[in-house]
Amino acid sequence: MNMQFITIFRALLFILLALALCSVIFVIAGFSAVELFESIIDGAFLRNGAMKHALRWAAPLFITSIGVIISFRAGYFNIGAQGQFYIGAIFAAFTAEWLNGAPAFVVIPACFIAGATGGALWALWPGLLRLKSGADEVITTLMGNFLASLILIYVTGGPLKDPSGSGQQASSRPLDEAYRLGNSYELSPTIIMIALSLGLFMWVIANRTTFGVVSGLAGRNATMVEWQGTKLLRVGLASFLISGGLAGIAGTVELMGPNGRLAAGFLPAHGFTAILIALVANLSIAGAAIAALFFGGLASAALYIPVMSGLPASAIEIINAAIALFITAKSKFLDKLFSLGRAKWKK
Amino acid sequence: MVKSDNNIFECNNITVSFGSVHALQNVSVAFERGKIHAVVGQNGAGKTTFARVVAGLIQPSTGKILVNNKQMLGGDVKQARAAGVELVHQSFALPPSFTVAEAMQFGASNGKIYSRRGLEKFWQKHLDNLGVNVKSKQKIKDLPVETLQAVEIARALISDAKFLILDEPTAVLSPETTDKLFERVRQLKQSGVTIILVLHKLKEVLKIADTVTVLRGGKLVQSPISCENIDVKKLSAMIIGENASQNLANSNRAAPSVAIKPDTALDIKQLSTIKDVEGAALTDVNLTIAAGEIVGVAGIEGNGQRTLVRAIADMVGIKSGEIYLNDQNMTQMSHLERRSNGLRIIPFERNVEGLSLSSPLWENWSIRNYLQRPIFSLIKPKEDRKACNTNLKKWNVHYSNVDQLAGSLSGGNAQKVILSREMDDEAKLIIAAQPTRGLDIGATDFVWKSLRKARDNGCGILFISSDLDELFDISDRVIVFLSGQLVGEFMPPFDIKKIGAAMIEADL
Amino acid sequence: MEEMIIAILRSATPLIYVTLAGVIAQRAGIWHLGLEGLMIVGACSTILGIVLTGSVFYALLLACLFCILGSIIFWFVVEKLKANQIIAGLGLTGLGLGGTTLAVEAIFGTPAAVNAKFGLPKIGYVFGDIFGAFNGLSILVLLMPFVVFGMWLLICRTRLGLQITASGEHPFAARSVGVNPSRMRFIALMIGGVLCALGGAELAAGSLQIFAQNMTAGRGFMSFAAVIFGASHPIGAMLAASFFAIVGALGIRAQLVFGDDVPHDLLLGLPYIATIFGIWLSAKLRGGAKAVSGFDELRD
Repeated sequence: MNMQFITIFRALLFILLALALCSVIFVIAGFSAVELFESIIDGAFLRNGAMKHALRWAAPLFITSIGVIISFRAGYFNIGAQGQFYIGAIFAAFTAEWLNGAPAFVVIPACFIAGATGGALWALWPGLLRLKSGADEVITTLMGNFLASLILIYVTGGPLKDPSGSGQQASSRPLDEAYRLGNSYELSPTIIMIALSLGLFMWVIANRTTFGVVSGLAGRNATMVEWQGTKLLRVGLASFLISGGLAGIAGTVELMGPNGRLAAGFLPAHGFTAILIALVANLSIAGAAIAALFFGGLASAALYIPVMSGLPASAIEIINAAIALFITAKSKFLDKLFSLGRAKWKK
Repeated sequence: MVKSDNNIFECNNITVSFGSVHALQNVSVAFERGKIHAVVGQNGAGKTTFARVVAGLIQPSTGKILVNNKQMLGGDVKQARAAGVELVHQSFALPPSFTVAEAMQFGASNGKIYSRRGLEKFWQKHLDNLGVNVKSKQKIKDLPVETLQAVEIARALISDAKFLILDEPTAVLSPETTDKLFERVRQLKQSGVTIILVLHKLKEVLKIADTVTVLRGGKLVQSPISCENIDVKKLSAMIIGENASQNLANSNRAAPSVAIKPDTALDIKQLSTIKDVEGAALTDVNLTIAAGEIVGVAGIEGNGQRTLVRAIADMVGIKSGEIYLNDQNMTQMSHLERRSNGLRIIPFERNVEGLSLSSPLWENWSIRNYLQRPIFSLIKPKEDRKACNTNLKKWNVHYSNVDQLAGSLSGGNAQKVILSREMDDEAKLIIAAQPTRGLDIGATDFVWKSLRKARDNGCGILFISSDLDELFDISDRVIVFLSGQLVGEFMPPFDIKKIGAAMIEADL
Repeated sequence: MEEMIIAILRSATPLIYVTLAGVIAQRAGIWHLGLEGLMIVGACSTILGIVLTGSVFYALLLACLFCILGSIIFWFVVEKLKANQIIAGLGLTGLGLGGTTLAVEAIFGTPAAVNAKFGLPKIGYVFGDIFGAFNGLSILVLLMPFVVFGMWLLICRTRLGLQITASGEHPFAARSVGVNPSRMRFIALMIGGVLCALGGAELAAGSLQIFAQNMTAGRGFMSFAAVIFGASHPIGAMLAASFFAIVGALGIRAQLVFGDDVPHDLLLGLPYIATIFGIWLSAKLRGGAKAVSGFDELRD
């Protein structure tokens, strides 16, 4: 039986297990699990234009998740995608503010470069701390997330504050329409193109360059790669920078596309969801494209269900968390099932 | 098999399977009380598995175990220990951050809350009684191997062991300390303890054991054989099997002398390093290896052999001195630059430093070439797979395809993958660190032949091994390391007594 | 000065409880990134318990119950299903954050903050007026030094502590003397669950009497950092947690003194920066605590 099939089956099995746990929680909380799931599936995939909405959410998630894949493959638990996403968006917002009035074909690329740089810088320091001093990147990148959201609050309430904004949530001045890649109502083909071409480019980097193979080997056995004569610093830093840069680009896409402005604490689950996508896809970039659609659908359902069926949006958060809980699990039962199946087949 | 009260241990039809592999198959053995029993066999014969089954660490899939005529559940350490069975592991099972007293305490059965001083005093008394020369407040990680072993044995004895199993106890010891260990084992026998020694050196077996049990490929060959009626030749024939023994009969001869070429492959001048993470610092080491020469390095582990390799590989800081490869000063060069000048390394730990077990074979094989290119260069995986395939075929590796994970190969085949990567035509200096550790006789023979062939092609070879017999067979010259210094240089014919003395000088 | 100490005790106590939970899990060989989730479950169920039952005792019992339940799930996933500890820990945290929001929404129909009429008993209320200015602190603050001492005794001075430590450091050594590492991890996580419940209770009902969405704001993760910074020793970890609390208190102080001259959002980040500094320092001093990275686990 095909290895890939087993991988997919395993992912599905644990997602089902996660959903079962969710149902228990929903029922304890006093909601009807059936009703909730129905309305989530409806919101995510079935209602009119659901695919469009799913794609709108999937594209930036996909970009960030590629970065997560690159760093996870290289053996670094960069879980700071959220922070890198924010800092990328902030850099892009400052650039747009600074270049305001210049033609779009200057401003848009400049913003993307700035966004990528911002995200990469926010991954650079945990990378250096890890590679130079051995400081665990799990905690430093996590702390980086909290710092980045504070910086975002500061920026939206200070330097970039929109004076006409309401008191509810601090936000920056809206971007000039000319610089927007899309709006919040329609799906932007430009953004889909950006996501797809980044996916293709990074697929080549990960599977068709020495960096891809060497970082993959280093992720599984760093000692062996060191004995082959490379210092891990270069490969490691490159993985951190690429990973952060991609999250930064995703931040830029959100800013210049659907959002059009920075808001304090916007999309707080973006980084975590991107990590989930990477894991559900078993660190494959092609797989991440499909997984991103699934989680993109869930993300759009989170907006849909409170409005349409009056059910709590935190249900989506719980589903994501439950999937995280189970997705890396290994199942002896499953292995046995497959080896049994194979044995029978041979007979 | 005769049932008798005289037997402290009996097992019937023990089978242990890991997946589809049978580590032990229908093994039935009985051990007589108050004697020293040896269990021998090649690597992979199931010796360690057997020891662990007896100690209750592994649950056999079928079979019955009796200790003192009492049936054991199997796979229950607590029950085995209660019956007086204690196992001393090959790589000692003591948590490194613990003090000796804590290591004794955590497996003991007495005491609730203790004070640190009380605990140390309590265990110090016991250790002193047993004649173990160690302070109970010392940390496990600071102890030398022979002391660790003594501590483990002491721990076993304190919990009133009646039946003590020692798994490869001599593997880490010098000839000197091995004798001391055997002395202790004989004393234990005097005091009524039954002992099983898992060994692989036959000379040692005949020196110490009363009976010997032979395992081959997870099956019992014969047991028990009284040691009075057998010699090394017969025993080794039983261990490797009749057919194999004939094939290998001629391959273990000492190396034929070859003309050593005038050029030097490696020249180390007055090399001193800082202390390495795992091993002594080097002080003022001078070493020359000619092209076409095999230089063997002897020494008890941890005396600087590892640091020497890591210094040549630019993995440890150099304080002073110079390293020349092929008359070219490499002291300032990176490991990669040294490699592009002909340095090749077969590292100590095949599965950790040599291969990434969870990666495909072709990636493991291609990495050496990839690292010589810029970091983001494009590759053609198809062609690299093909190149890998051709090369592994040439080296006689048994595998099904190059996308297979390296971890799915047997030890011998895995080592061949490393050889095929490191012993290419451009190699000028090959460092072979413990290249035969854990390999069976056939694979060991292959490694030796390959090294000799490389030597005949003009490679300089630095050969590091903890097995003196092997070292003497293959080396053109043997050097000895002690506490980071080169303390002796010997030419053939090698005298084991002199070399052995040089290895432990500080201990005398 | 007294005010300052009270402020520090208030913010340090929840951290210390949760840090101790992290210490014992770490000793048993589990990188516990689910602390954040358990802490907020503790906070939420304490407040809900007080609101619904009107009794602090039942509220604490409820908090312990839910935290232990969360710990059992975590143990099952990590030990029985061999899931990656870090990802599963983050999942547990997500479950805690989402679950508490859902619970509040389910009970009150809106995810807004929940106020309780009263909180944990104060020191002055239980013992009378003997602690002066400290009378206003909750009894969990008073209990804290004893719990730290008790955990030190358990971990460093009992055989169970040694067995837990051995299970994390060298599971094979534990197994070969008949200790079941998986069982030790279960024990460690259960103790940790209770400690997280206490930490969460102190956070929500110690000086405040309120539960708000995401009110832990990374304190669980900070506790985890304190575990590493404090070399997974109960006393060391307590000091590390106190250090983070002191930095936080100083930040608030600076805000009062300097007013708007310093952007206060950035001052709120001081504990996080201190945490990063702490991780860097402990890596420098002790050569880096490498995560149980196991990426093979991720892509087998």
